[in-house]
Amino acid sequence: MTIEYFIFMLINGLSQGMLLFIIASGLSLVFGVLRVINFAHGSLYMIGAFVAFSLSTLMAGGTLYSFLVLLLVVPPILAVIGFFLEVSLFRRVYGQEHLLQLLLTYALVLILDDLVRAVWGGDPRNVARPEILAGSVDMLGLALPTYNVFVLAVGPVIAVGLWFLLYRTRAGSVIRAAVSYPDTLGALGVNVSWVMTSTFMLGCWLAGLGGVLTAALANIDLGIGMEKIIECFAVVVIGGLGSVGGALLGSLIIGTGITFLQLPFGRWALVFPYALMALVLILRPWGLFGKPER
Amino acid sequence: MDKSPSNKKMRWISGVVVAVALFVLPFVLARLGRTGEFWIWVTTEMIIMALFAMSLNLILGFGGMVSFGHAAFFGAGAYTVALLMKKAGWPLYLALPAAPLVAAIVAAVIGWFCVRLLGLYFAILTLAFSQLLYMIIFQWYTFTGGDDGIHGIPRPEFLDPTNYYLLCLVLFLICFVLMRMIVNSSFGLSIRTTRENLERAKFIGINVRRYQLINFIIAGAFAGLAGGLLTELNRFAQTEFLHWSKSAEPILASLVGGMYSLVGPAIGSAVLMFLKIILQQAHRSMVEMWAIVLGLILLVVVLFAPGGLVGLYERLFGKSES
Repeated sequence: MTIEYFIFMLINGLSQGMLLFIIASGLSLVFGVLRVINFAHGSLYMIGAFVAFSLSTLMAGGTLYSFLVLLLVVPPILAVIGFFLEVSLFRRVYGQEHLLQLLLTYALVLILDDLVRAVWGGDPRNVARPEILAGSVDMLGLALPTYNVFVLAVGPVIAVGLWFLLYRTRAGSVIRAAVSYPDTLGALGVNVSWVMTSTFMLGCWLAGLGGVLTAALANIDLGIGMEKIIECFAVVVIGGLGSVGGALLGSLIIGTGITFLQLPFGRWALVFPYALMALVLILRPWGLFGKPER
Repeated sequence: MDKSPSNKKMRWISGVVVAVALFVLPFVLARLGRTGEFWIWVTTEMIIMALFAMSLNLILGFGGMVSFGHAAFFGAGAYTVALLMKKAGWPLYLALPAAPLVAAIVAAVIGWFCVRLLGLYFAILTLAFSQLLYMIIFQWYTFTGGDDGIHGIPRPEFLDPTNYYLLCLVLFLICFVLMRMIVNSSFGLSIRTTRENLERAKFIGINVRRYQLINFIIAGAFAGLAGGLLTELNRFAQTEFLHWSKSAEPILASLVGGMYSLVGPAIGSAVLMFLKIILQQAHRSMVEMWAIVLGLILLVVVLFAPGGLVGLYERLFGKSES
């Protein structure tokens, strides 16, 4: 393998990883605060991708302007959907058995996925990339697809943004306090249920952003939600449930891992996330960055 | 559990009545021509899926452990029958007993790792292992046929639809009696103790992990038998049998039927399948709506009736099972 080819693959793998991070960080954040593993996170991501497709056809997309509109509009739409889901459904199962929580979110998967099928049908779709992101860019003497480089750049921005939000703002301290001491937080006069609602909205916002970015990267169809949620599970388990930093590490490991393992193993590389997930759960169930509970 | 003699007698009588009705059913249906044949096939599948749901409930309801990977054992049994009959040319009477055996071995390996974890982590690890198995079967084209599955599994001549129904029914009843014995044995009581209070179970000297592992293996074996039976019914095995949505099916059935009783999941499974078929018969386009309907049923059960149908029945008629 030449060094150029290696860098090419690395950029590819890392951009896949960054995309995964944007989606998985939402799942992890929501679990951290709500203690609910949201199976429907993948479905919300898929809805984001399809809404992006519809809006882009509506605007006769393909321009930079329309793509920016998608990036600005679609994630908040998902956040609003998230608001209604949290207030009407999730709120009722906090503190109940894991099984009931899991099944509630699984019921949502069934409903949302079928609604997507009813609205958009089963054909593969995509969003046209704006011209400026469509070609390839010369870096290090290599022609790299601009869009992958763009995704690769968005990931760290989100990561830094989340870090700043969580560790440098008051809202972030409240969220982190809600992870560790929800009762104390409530006693201090913070509206904990609103913290939960807004965290859930933030998680959905991230799912929506991931959806928009995916829609312009590859074809989207009815299977992407199911496919992504399992990958996100792997990421979140590897990094540690509830840890955003862990989600970043897990995403990059899985993104680059799959890309590089595809060279010698072909499609067998897709086994990698599950094998790694099982391995981490056996050796260190709380993940690389998480803390042991109970 | 209510042990008053009159109640026990009632249970026996109703059990025997239901069993006899199930034995008579195919002969009634056979008189109905084409639709009858269809319904024999459907009821056979119902019996098989009821067995699958009951097998999961040994872990879920009685063990109190949420397994999201039970399809792994169902699929292991299914592919065992498919491969042995199609590739090795084994007859059904040898391939079918091999299904629960292989599934039990797979369950022993997976369970050995999984019972070390608790709660959510247990659920996710079972999911991870079943996905791993799913991917392996999906990718190993030369051996398992990948996403084409394995088709054209031979069917012994004497097994017409009615006889196959009877075979499944007899096996189901045997499994039911076995499970009943297991659940009511001292082993079953210990398992229920670990569900109610893990710490206490440890203190009174129950080797929790070992009991949970054995329970996991037993459940896996029953699931494997169900998988083998379905393969022979459909005469094909496919990767769908191992998909994680297949793992969700018995959980839904247990939840809808009620997971703190032995028959609950079987009833739940049959009710859900029946609803699905009715919906399909009512309108062709309703097939696509099934997931929404199932999702809504699930939402209602989760939010309003976590005890399921059996729980509802007991609440309405003032009985209590466990």
